[in-house]
Amino acid sequence: MELFDNLALGLGVALTPANLGFALVGALIGTLIGVLPGIGPIATIAMLLPLTFHLEPVSGLIMLAGIFYGAQYGGSTTAILVNLPGETSSVVTCIDGHQMARQGKAGSALAIAALGSFFAGTVSTFIIAAFAPPLARVGQSFGAPEYFSLMVLGLIAAVVLAHGSVLKAIAMIILGLLLGLVGTDGQTAAQRFTFDITELSDGIDFAVLAIGLFGVGEVIANLTRGEESRSVMSEKITRLWPTREDFRLAWPAVLRGTALGSILGVLPGGGATLSSFAAYVLEKKVAREPSRFGRGAVEGVAGPESANNAGAQTSFIPMLTLGIPGNAVMALMIGAMTIHGIQPGPQVMSERPQLFWGMVASMWIGNLMLLVINLPLIGIWVQLLKVPYRFLYLSILLFCAIGVYTIGNSPFAVLVAAFFGIVGYIFMRLECEAPPMILGFVLGPLMEDNLRRAMRISGGDPTIFIHRPISLGLLIAAAILLVMVALPAIRRGREEAFQES
Amino acid sequence: LLHILARKNVLAGLMFIAIAALGLWVSRDYPIGTALRMGTGYVPRLLCWVLMGLGAAVLIQGLREKDAPPERITLRQLIPIVVVTASLIAFSLAIEQLGFVLSVLLLIGIGAVAARDIKLWEVAVAALVLIVLGWGIFILGLGLTIPVWPVW
Repeated sequence: MELFDNLALGLGVALTPANLGFALVGALIGTLIGVLPGIGPIATIAMLLPLTFHLEPVSGLIMLAGIFYGAQYGGSTTAILVNLPGETSSVVTCIDGHQMARQGKAGSALAIAALGSFFAGTVSTFIIAAFAPPLARVGQSFGAPEYFSLMVLGLIAAVVLAHGSVLKAIAMIILGLLLGLVGTDGQTAAQRFTFDITELSDGIDFAVLAIGLFGVGEVIANLTRGEESRSVMSEKITRLWPTREDFRLAWPAVLRGTALGSILGVLPGGGATLSSFAAYVLEKKVAREPSRFGRGAVEGVAGPESANNAGAQTSFIPMLTLGIPGNAVMALMIGAMTIHGIQPGPQVMSERPQLFWGMVASMWIGNLMLLVINLPLIGIWVQLLKVPYRFLYLSILLFCAIGVYTIGNSPFAVLVAAFFGIVGYIFMRLECEAPPMILGFVLGPLMEDNLRRAMRISGGDPTIFIHRPISLGLLIAAAILLVMVALPAIRRGREEAFQES
Repeated sequence: LLHILARKNVLAGLMFIAIAALGLWVSRDYPIGTALRMGTGYVPRLLCWVLMGLGAAVLIQGLREKDAPPERITLRQLIPIVVVTASLIAFSLAIEQLGFVLSVLLLIGIGAVAARDIKLWEVAVAALVLIVLGWGIFILGLGLTIPVWPVW
């Protein structure tokens, strides 16, 4: 079968000693930053992006992907043991996971979270392998108008699924689109928004922007907030295996979480965080006694933790097959591909099958490694939680500075990153979310290019977007989404889903 | 009045409007062209007008909010902003002349001011560990051409 041939090809790439090593490094770093609150996968991937210059493209992508799904494993450890979310995607795990830990069932909660994540990771790897090729074939039939409409849909969906104010999220996307225009106009070679600074004529480098906003910005935000006291559960974790009763309750929740996460991950704007919130709400709805939730219900750990890992992995599908990033991490992955001169899009799969299938196969291997990293070695990660933030932020700051400098051996880039660090902090204070802006920044130049090409195809007639059936369908979907957010009932439901904690 | 102006959404709205206005001013001479042959300024100016409209909407929303607390910025919050920025500026100025070791020392030395209860020996240990680690990863491991010591 084609599917297994492809996976075999991928395993051949992923099982080379070097790529196994990079998958392990990615999984370890992912777990580390997942466990540590105050640094997330977006900042970490942005900081390590410059490093992947010096690696084979497939090795670099394997490592970066490992960080993203590794963080989903690590995040649950902190949530269960300290009652602090190590990642935003494990916010809901705190609710019941920490209660389980207080009842002496920490080992059981950790094992359920890890096993559920592993199951979800395995299933979603096969989902990627099965659904990516047909989707890429659809993508190859797309012309400029279809791509433009698809990107409009992607951006609008990102807004609808983001938390917080819709109005501000749209404004942030526009801001991202504008920032993407800085530099030399590809069509007319004119300078735009460069303020006569020569270093800006090539535009703002994507990695510099991301490191500034997420790396430096988060350091500033954490320092202004002051260190929160962490009380790590001091009792020994005695029993690292769930009871039969826990298993019985957990496995249907794992199945539901995996299904929900796999679907929500594919949607633009979806991914790990949305999936875990939605899974928690779902578990509460289907439970026979909803009152157990908040008091250590095992389903409240199993569902969201499976969902966030499934969502993290299936969010690779639109990125790998269409070249459209659904969330900020995928925007970074696109950045990593373009660094190596790979144009993301449906042609990646046919032109570079080794890269594509190697990455997919490495996801399953990475998940297997993570199971080992997280269960028997849990004690080491707990120790790491005792490292105070004052050491952590100095290392983050240094990695940001060196990372930015090495992109183009440019001291100026460090200044740009410092500027966006302040900007990122202001955004956080004003509750303007930066991830939609990053999406706009990545999609901006692509959209302008496709808009101009579509206009040339149609001879300046904007109705081309509604005369082409696929394009029309995508735009209608976008319009429906916008109307949905405007409806009060749905808006309330959306707020509820995000305010679960 | 100041209390109203310092609300989150009011400030956000004003920020968007200010950025849009700046964008329109900078792009005032960019040729707009036509929809068929879009000039350099077509898309940027369009986006700026949309951003201005959205900013105004956020601003109005902010003004109509009841009892939204004003934002305050205290000295304790200002210190990390200034210190972190200063440490990065120092690193950027130093890296090509003073080399890797001294630049990292500068970055850590200045950056450590932002931590409230860090001890001097802790800064020294952190600097030493990070210099060795950074040198090992970036210069030895990846072979980046960063001067290690000052260039005279």
